Parts: sequence; structure tokens; C-alpha cells
Amino acid sequence: MTTSQLGRARRRIGLVIGSAVATLSLVACGGVETNDGDQPSGEGITLEIVGNTNGQDATEALVEAYEAENPNVNFTTSYAPVDQLQTALRTRLGAGNAPDLFAAWPGDGSSMATVPLAQAGLAAPISDQDWLTRVPESLRPLLGYEGESYLWSAGVGIIGTIYNERVFEENNVAIPETWSELLDTCTQFESLGIAPMALGNQTPWITQLISYAIATTVAFGEEPELAEMMLTGERTFSNSGWRETLERYMLLEETGCFNDNVNGTTVEQAISMLADGDAAMMVTVSPHYGQVLDASEGRATFGMFPFPAAEDPDDLVIPAGIAQGFMASPTSDHLDIAKDFLAFIGQQEQSEAFAEAGDLIPFGSEDPAELDPILQPFAQLINDDRAMPYPDQQWPNAEVQPTHFAVIQQLFAGTTSIDQALQTLDDAYND
Amino acid sequence: MHGAAAPTLNRGHHKRRAGRTILPTIWFTIPALVVYLIIVIYPALSGAAYAFTDWSGVGEQLRFVGLENFRKVFTDAQSLAALRNAVALTIFIVFVQNGVGLVLALGVHSKIKSRNVLRTIFFAPAVVSPVVIAFLWKYLFDPRPEEGINAVLGFIGLDFLRQNWLGDPSIALWSIGIMIVWQLAGYSMVIFLAGLQGVPQELHEAASIDGAGGLRRFRSITLPLLAPAITICTLLSVIGGLKLFDQVFALTGGGPGYATETPSTVIYKEAFVYGNYGYSTAIALVLAVVVAAVALVQLKWLRGKEVEA
Repeated sequence: MTTSQLGRARRRIGLVIGSAVATLSLVACGGVETNDGDQPSGEGITLEIVGNTNGQDATEALVEAYEAENPNVNFTTSYAPVDQLQTALRTRLGAGNAPDLFAAWPGDGSSMATVPLAQAGLAAPISDQDWLTRVPESLRPLLGYEGESYLWSAGVGIIGTIYNERVFEENNVAIPETWSELLDTCTQFESLGIAPMALGNQTPWITQLISYAIATTVAFGEEPELAEMMLTGERTFSNSGWRETLERYMLLEETGCFNDNVNGTTVEQAISMLADGDAAMMVTVSPHYGQVLDASEGRATFGMFPFPAAEDPDDLVIPAGIAQGFMASPTSDHLDIAKDFLAFIGQQEQSEAFAEAGDLIPFGSEDPAELDPILQPFAQLINDDRAMPYPDQQWPNAEVQPTHFAVIQQLFAGTTSIDQALQTLDDAYND
Repeated sequence: MHGAAAPTLNRGHHKRRAGRTILPTIWFTIPALVVYLIIVIYPALSGAAYAFTDWSGVGEQLRFVGLENFRKVFTDAQSLAALRNAVALTIFIVFVQNGVGLVLALGVHSKIKSRNVLRTIFFAPAVVSPVVIAFLWKYLFDPRPEEGINAVLGFIGLDFLRQNWLGDPSIALWSIGIMIVWQLAGYSMVIFLAGLQGVPQELHEAASIDGAGGLRRFRSITLPLLAPAITICTLLSVIGGLKLFDQVFALTGGGPGYATETPSTVIYKEAFVYGNYGYSTAIALVLAVVVAAVALVQLKWLRGKEVEA
């Protein structure tokens, strides 16, 4: 069967199902008059937007602001957690039933990332929008594909170390600034019966955070072009800094840096350990800072510092990835309005509000002093060009990232070796 | 002549009656049949075509790859490991869930006063969504010593039985099995209870008069007459076990590593995470054939062993 035959078959079934459903609806309603959308014809236009539960309040605020400026436009919004969101959106996109605007991720490396969606013609280009000029040139390619931009994002999320200030102060432990100091800090807390770092590897995506926090310094710090070298085959996981990354990850485990049974601990349990003072630190994404504060209910104060992956702090390179954003569907009946919405939320005021709600560093924030204090040291490093995107955003297919989750769980379970883990990653990369 | 003509008239009358009865029945079923064909049969058959392509699940780009996806199903270590997990879990569920269900059924079939309340309590988990059950058990399976099952074990002095329930690859699969047995043993109980209520009391009375004890009566009267219920329970357990998805996905997501992957979680990941829709469809087709074949063989074998009172 050829592409066009299958395409025609899909369109036919879509038409048949659509007709059947329409007929049944009319029968069920007894011939009630219908209008497109929620509004009576001529009174307004309704667009659908599907987003991430984590950013629900911030998204609603953007929608309200746009509706206030455009009284004839209304939005229906729905949200889901990341895993369900990606599945549901992918299914809808595959079935030719895309929402007008939907959540998507930068770069490549996942099924809802910009590159595969743009390749499949499922994203509308927005290259002419003004806000793109605020995005650093080094990051802009991650919003697009082959020179065109497709994704709106509010800014950059970082991976860092959230720490319980009360636990550090009560036990007179200093914040580690180098790799050796980090190992010493682990030993100190372990001897006090406090888990040095809470790690919830039962939640798959959490497994990658420490790996990235090490790799950006150890693997990419020494070879800044590593991602491109891996694409050309010059480097692989097995013969690059990824080997030392995994070795250091396991060294942390051997040193006693983590809570017991990390593979059986969820991210929620890890957050609770940090909030309760059962753990001193947690390496995670900046949006988790607010969740830790909520879980703590005021029993402690918390700060955030860059993960000290380097022996010399001047060599530190932090992971800072473009955050999940929104795309417009090229098949939208109201594509112009969908693009206009993206241009609207790309305005500095709107983007900054969205970024602040999600503990992101907005594009174009030249003065770190204006940011949330926990983000300031990270913003300084970004401005000093000592940050690089999350490695998965530059992986060539959607299989590498989940394989990375799985091999790290296997390493902690002792069911694979570092050699085997690297080989498995290479196999997934070349698949 | 008159006597010979009467049957002919009657036959014609019956024919017309039969025609009037059948035709409207067919017409009434047609709308449902059309919807079923459109919503279920046609998508299933047309979906099967993707098993011979490399379609990613989105867009129009795809290539015909022949039987390549099916070859991969039988050589891919992850798919084969998932099948082994599903078989192990199915065997566990078939024996433990139905064993516990039978014991519960025998218990609430007695004349104890609280039997109706107990029946409701034991059956209640079966009507709750598997995903909700999985999230509840996620808390019970907390690996910390002061939480969930580990806390209870510590409280009753069985600290040595504390486990990393979902994080230890050698235990995680059986943790899922325990949760499923807890949820569905009540379902088996209801089926066995229906079977027990069909066992004639006279047979038990006659056997008692002949001197048969409780165990002998259970083995020689109750168990053989429960065979139809056993057939249904084990058949449902085998089918459910081989295509297990919700509980595994919500509880472990197939991890740690790939330790609890089942064919259904692999199908899901290949289609919606990795973007290998064609390969995913091939696994789904193979799974459908395997489940149907196992179920048919099992049904035929168990039916042959059934007896009537």
C-alpha cells in the first residue's frame, strides 16, 4: 500500500465516521440547530488549546489576557499531566484532529518535540514574530526546523539543587561548590542519618536530571560540539564524556549521596523527604521549587544552587533547556488567530508572567537581579555562556530518552553495567 | 382433500409469522451493526495494514516494509522479555486470584450472619478503576520503613519482610501481581459463589449419610460441579493477564528498567513514545492471535472436563 493510498484510506474512514457521528448526533438531538464552536454564529470565534497541567494557571492567565483584548475570541482549554498529554496529543495529531493550539517541546528527542512535528507538517511556522529576537541565537534553532521557527516558549528552565536551609544550618554544613565538596557533604549528612539527596527514580523522567547536571560539565564542557559529533558518528555514548557521566552518577550512589531504594521512590515522595527535612538536597528542575515550598507548609526555608559537577567552579556548565511551549496547528480553521495568540503571548509582559509562574528564566532578561532570587545565580551563568540545552533536545529520535531512563534504573538496580548501559544508549541512538 | 390441505395452510401461516418475527429483528440490529462495523471492525482491520509499514503515527510519511515488523517482534529482546513477564504474571494471577476467590466464595457461602456485608466488601475493589487502585497501592508500596506495607510489617514485628516493592526488579512484577489479586479476587469470588449456589444440597446430604467428610465432599462433589465456574474464572484471568496494561502502567510504567514490561506496555510505548506505530501494530496483532489461541485451547480443554449434577 502506498502513502497516498493509506492517506486516502484514513481520510475516507475519517469522513465515514464523521458522517456517522454527525447523523447520530442529529438523530439524538431531534434536529436541533447547531453552530460551529460554543458561540452562536456571528457572535465570536472559539479556539481550542490543550496544555500541561503544571502550567494551567499561567496558561489560563494568558488566555484571559488575550480574550480581554479580543472580545470576539474565546478559548476552550483542557490540561493533562505530561505523559497523558503527549499521548493524547499525538493520537489527535495522528488522527488529523489537532487542537488549534497545543503544548509541544523544543528540539528533537521526543514524539511531541518540534522537529518531528515540523517534519510531519503538523506545526505552523511563526518565524516572522517579533518576540523571537529576544531568544538567544544559540537557542533559537531549538524552536524550529530547517530555518523556520514553530514553537513559542516563555523561557528557559534549569536543573539545579534545591536544598533545605534549616537542615544545612542546624547541622553546620556548608553548601558544596565543587565535586569533592559535594562528596564530602554526602558523607557528612549520611553520618548524621539524613539522606544527603532525595532521588525519586521510580518516576522515570527524574532519572535523567543528575545525569544531565553532570554531563553538561563533564561531557559537553570538554567537548562543546559533542551533540554534533554524535550526530556525525564521530562520538558515541560509549566513547565520549557520557561514560564519565554515568561513572560519576554511580559514584554518588556508592558514596551514599541518595536515600535508600531510589528506584522505588517517586518524585512526590522525594519532594516530601526534602520538605520534611529527611533529606538535605534534591537535584531537580526549577519548577519543583514551588512544590517543595507547598509541601513544606512553612516548616523550613529553601534555596537553590547550581549542581557542583566541576572541581573548579569556573569550569561549571549548567543544563538550561527551553521550556515546553505552544504550537499552532496548520489545519486550524482559525490559523491567523492562533498565530496572533502566539505573537501576543510572546510579548515581554506576557512571557515574563508565564515564566515567573513556572520558575523559568524568561528570554531577554538581561538583568538577573530582577529575577526570583533562586534563579539569579543560574541566570548569571546563562549570561556568561556557561549553560547548554538539555542533551535530549539534540538527540535524533524519541527512543533515546526513555532508554536513558531505563538504563539508569537498571544501573541502580544492579542489573546492567556502565558498558552495557552505554551500548544500549548507542543502539537506541542509531535505531 | 380438506384434511390434506390444512397442514399446507398452517405451514404457510408459520412461514409468514416467522418472516414477520425475523425481519424486524434484523432491521433493528442493523444500526448497531453498522456503528460496530465502522467504529470497531473497520478501524481494526485498516489499522492492521499499518503493521506492514514504518508509519510513525503522525503525518503522511510511511513506507511498506513487508514482514519486517513481525520478524522484529520475534527477535526483539524487549518484546520477548515482555511476553515472558506477561506469562509469569498470568500464571500467578490464574492460580492465586482464583484460589483466593474460591476460598472467599466458600467462606461467604456459609451461614455466617455477616456474609452479605463480606460479599460486598470483597467485591468492592473489582468495581474501582484499575488506575485508581494502582495509585492507592503506590502509596502502600512506599519503600520507606515508616510508610505503607513496610510500616505494618514493622508494627507486627516482621521487619525482615520489608521490601523495596516497586524498585527491586526481582520483586516488582510480583508486587503488581499482589495488587491485581487484591483487586480481582472478589470478582472470582462472585463467579464461584454463583457456581456454589448451583450445587444441589441433596448430594452433600447423601454423601454425608455415606460417611464422607467435608474435604471428601468438596473434592468429589463441589469441585467437579464448579468446573464451569472454574472455566470462566481461569479464562478471564488468562485473557486479562496476557493483555495487562492499566495496572502495570500506573504502578511501575514497565520499570525499573524493563523489569515489568508487558506486551501491552510495549505496544503503548512503541506507538506513542517511540513513534514506531507500524511495529507497535505488529506486536498488537501477534498478541491478539496469541491470546485468542491460548483462550480457545484452554476453553476446549476445560469444557471437556466439565460434568453436570
